[in-house]
This record gives sequence, structure tokens and C-alpha cells, in this order.
Amino acid sequence: MYRARLERDFKHWVDKGLLQENAARAMLAEYDGRESTFRAGRVLLILAALLLSASILLLVAANWEALPRLARVAGIIALVWGFHFAAAWLTQTGRTTLAAAALVLGAAAFGGGIALIGQMYHLSGDAADAALLWFAGAVLSALAFRSAAMAAVAGGLAWFYFATVLKDDGFNGAADWRMWSVPALAVIVVLLVRFTSADRVRHLAYLLVLSWLAWLYLDNASLAFSIGLAALGLVAFLAATLPGSPLRALAIDAGSAPAFYSFALALLGFTTLQYEAEGLTTEVLTGAGTLLVALLGIALAGAQNGAVRYLGYVAFAGELLYLAFETLGSMLGTSGFFLISGLVVAGIAWIVIRIEGHLANARRTEAPQ
Amino acid sequence: MTKSEQKSRWLNPLLAALLVAGVQTAALGYMIEGRASILRSGRDVLLKTVPVDPRDLLRGDYVILNYDISRLQPELFKGDTPREQEQAQVYVRLEKQLDGFWAATEASFQPLASAGDSVVLRSLPFAYYPSSSSSSVDVEYGIERFYVPEGEGRTLEEARNAQALSVNIRVDAKGKAQIREIAVNGSPVYEEPLY
Repeated sequence: MYRARLERDFKHWVDKGLLQENAARAMLAEYDGRESTFRAGRVLLILAALLLSASILLLVAANWEALPRLARVAGIIALVWGFHFAAAWLTQTGRTTLAAAALVLGAAAFGGGIALIGQMYHLSGDAADAALLWFAGAVLSALAFRSAAMAAVAGGLAWFYFATVLKDDGFNGAADWRMWSVPALAVIVVLLVRFTSADRVRHLAYLLVLSWLAWLYLDNASLAFSIGLAALGLVAFLAATLPGSPLRALAIDAGSAPAFYSFALALLGFTTLQYEAEGLTTEVLTGAGTLLVALLGIALAGAQNGAVRYLGYVAFAGELLYLAFETLGSMLGTSGFFLISGLVVAGIAWIVIRIEGHLANARRTEAPQ
Repeated sequence: MTKSEQKSRWLNPLLAALLVAGVQTAALGYMIEGRASILRSGRDVLLKTVPVDPRDLLRGDYVILNYDISRLQPELFKGDTPREQEQAQVYVRLEKQLDGFWAATEASFQPLASAGDSVVLRSLPFAYYPSSSSSSVDVEYGIERFYVPEGEGRTLEEARNAQALSVNIRVDAKGKAQIREIAVNGSPVYEEPLY
């Protein structure tokens, strides 16, 4: 995607005489040489490893009686050792993608072992602890091999743990540490991401925290909690994007994620506030607040951060439609509602065009510096 | 994005493999031994059950087992009960009845001392909501599932319909239970080896 756009732009600039052709070729070559660049073969290899992992897990699940239990345990432990030493050998010979695939398979074998023992001894009521143990095994592997692929697996297993807790019983009546374990896992994943430079995996951790907060709200809806969410999101977003904030440089260094996710958190908070609001005046006031936050997001970070810009547009448009539906739709009837919606969307389009133009101007004046 | 070039190995890959495989094997071994030790040295208890039949994606087919002792009547409880909603555990004293099956004779939110021929079983932690009227308490003991080879849940289901299923468990000194054997009409169908 980015590669194709880059090539097209280079061609455009070379044609215009802005860029030397050999410089463009050198830049593309540098890009292709990066480790994080998409390669079909690499992706297919990891997909194959995931399929093989599923086959290990399902082989365990089938509880196949042709193999005695002890042989099954021995087999799965042999797989754990085999895959990890294969990964070590492949790393040493420089075949890193194959090594990553072997590590993924090793993690699957460890998970299969946990499931197998649960099956052997008919364990019940401990699925979340089993998921946590599996996650710990994956973290150890990611650390020891400094593997980005294993950081991704750990991120996925953190989600698996969250899902298992929700499927069991939720946090209702569970011990306090269970509730806090989810953000703790997210922090561990972020640290792994930094350690292994698995940049894209960080989104798994951020999304996990957002979903956890949303779940906590659904589980325990209260006005104070939604105010807290909105305030926390706003403060974090301002700290990440306000010019002059001491954290701004750090946030920009971490890419577009800090601004985007704090913005998403603020909008999540305002959505829950909207849900809490009762009565027309409060509804409209909360709605106006949400619109302001959306505009603030676009104004502060929209120029550098496409993700924030689009989330801002979506929130702005959604909130306007919601307000139109709540206040006018009930009075004017269906036809009137569509009329209003049409006008509202046209109004949004006008604002978006103005903002885009303004941002383009801002970028043009910034560029020569 | 170019951080990957600075990234360096900090551990020899062979050492890393040894560490990861070793620790993971130890974790699996610890899980196995924790269970095998209950089977080896726990006390025998025979329970009556009522199963149904779902499936767990990761571990395969299993039969849900429900016991007479899964629902504790209010008159069994001795000692204080929690006044607020909390994470609670219940200790249940089991005694052998004339028909050979064991039944709950006492329950408490505090640990019970073992006395005479009785066995004390500990429930899994659960969310306890106090109610004004005394009502029965539903608990689990971690023995509510029995995994069977794919497709073999039927046999146990039919036995359930005939109300002929019994489960032999072993309970260790800490009150932890482990299924040892499932029997239909008194004759064992699945006997669990130590390992």
C-alpha cells in the first residue's frame, strides 16, 4: 500500500524534475531492505505456523485414545523442546522468519500442553488461570529470543485471557487483582513491543485497555466513571498534542498511537456521558461537548495524524446525527428527519472542506522552515 | 521503524531455547504433579451426579457434572456468613451415608477442622451476594467437568438419564478435589491413572 504510493509519488517527482532518478531508486531500495517491509512469503510462513498451531491444539482437543496419555504428554513436551531448539538453530543460521515461525509453534505446543493437562485431570473453573500461564510462557519466549513475532503472540494471548475472563464470569465478584490484571498484561505487552521493536503490536495493547475500560463501564455504569473516562482521555490527549506540553515530544516519537488512543478514550468517555445524560438540556449540552472535543482533536492533531482526523470526523458526524435524531426527529416526523439529516450532512461536509483547506494551508506555511 | 536494525540479541539463542523450554516444561510438570499428588494421597469420596453435554474448543468434548453437594442448603451453614458482597470460599464437611455415597453434613465460610471419618472439601472462590432470607448457596469444586474422547459423551448422557452415574473423587488435606473414576451402575467406565 505505502510502497505503491511511494513509488507513484517518486515517479511523479522525478517527472517534474524535483528528484533525481537514482536518488529515488536508492530510497526505494532502502525501503525494501527494511525488516518490517511486507513480504508475501514471510506472511504466508507465519500463517502456515498458525495453521499448524491450530492443528496441535485440535489434536489435543480430540482426546485421541490411540495414544496413551503419558505418550501424549511426552509428545507435547518433545514438541516444546523441538520447536524452541529449532528456533535457536534457525536464528543462529540467520533465517529469522523461519525462527519466528518455530517460536510461534513452540508457544502453541506449550498451550496444547496446558490444555492437555486440563483435559487429563478434568480441571474446571480455572480457564482464566490457564490462559494467564500460557501468556506468561509466550512472554518468556518473546524476552529470551527478543522476538517480535512472539510479542505479537503475547498480545494475542492477552486478548485471549481477557475474553476467557469475560466468558467465565466477568470481573463481577472476582478478586480485585483479576480486574487489574488486564491493564497489567497490556503494560507487559507494550514493554515487550519496545524491547522487540514489534511496533505494530502496540495497537493490540492499547485496544485491550480501551476495551477493558468500556467493559468496566458496561459492568458498572455510573456518572462518576464516565466523567473520569472523559477527563482522563482529554488530559492524556492534551498532554500528547498541546504545543508546549513536556510529553508532546515523547508522544510524537512513539508515532500516531498516543494521540489517537487518548483521543479515542476521550470520545469513549463522552459517549458514555451521552448515555448517562437525561433530559433534553443535558443531552444537548453533552452533545455540544462531544462536538467540541471532536473539533479540538482535529484542530490539535488532525494535520499530522490521519487516524485522529478520521476518528474526529466520524465522532462529529455521529454526534450530530444523534442529536438531530433525539431533538428534531421526534417532532418533525420521518420525512422531516431525512430533510434535517441531509442538511446536517451537507453542513458537516462544508466544515470538513473548510478544515481540510485550513490544514493544507497550515502545512504549506510550516513546510519551508 | 528502523529500530529493528539497532536491536541486538542479548541471549545466546541456544540458552534462550533451553530457558524457555525448561521453564515451560517445569510449569507443565508442576501442574501434573499438583494433580497426581491428590490422586496418590487424597481420601476417597463417592458422589452422585447429574451430567449434561457441551464442548470446550481447546480441551475437547466434556460432560458437565452436577452433584448433590453443588447446592448447599442454608441449614447446613455454621458460623458467620459475609455481610457484604465478596469473593468467598466455602468449606464443606462430607460424611459417608448408609448407601455408600457421601453427603454434606456441615458447611462454613471459615475453614473446618477434619474430625473423625469426615472429609472437608473446599469450594472454588465465587462471588457471594448476601440475601436477607436464608437461601441455598451454589458452589463449584473444580470437578464439574469430565473430558471424554470425541463423540463418547453419549454413553455418559444415557447413564445420566437412567440416573446411574457416580463419581469417585480424591480429596487432599487442603480440601482440593480430583476426579478419580466415573462409574455407571457401580461399574467403572473411566478410571484415571496417576499420569
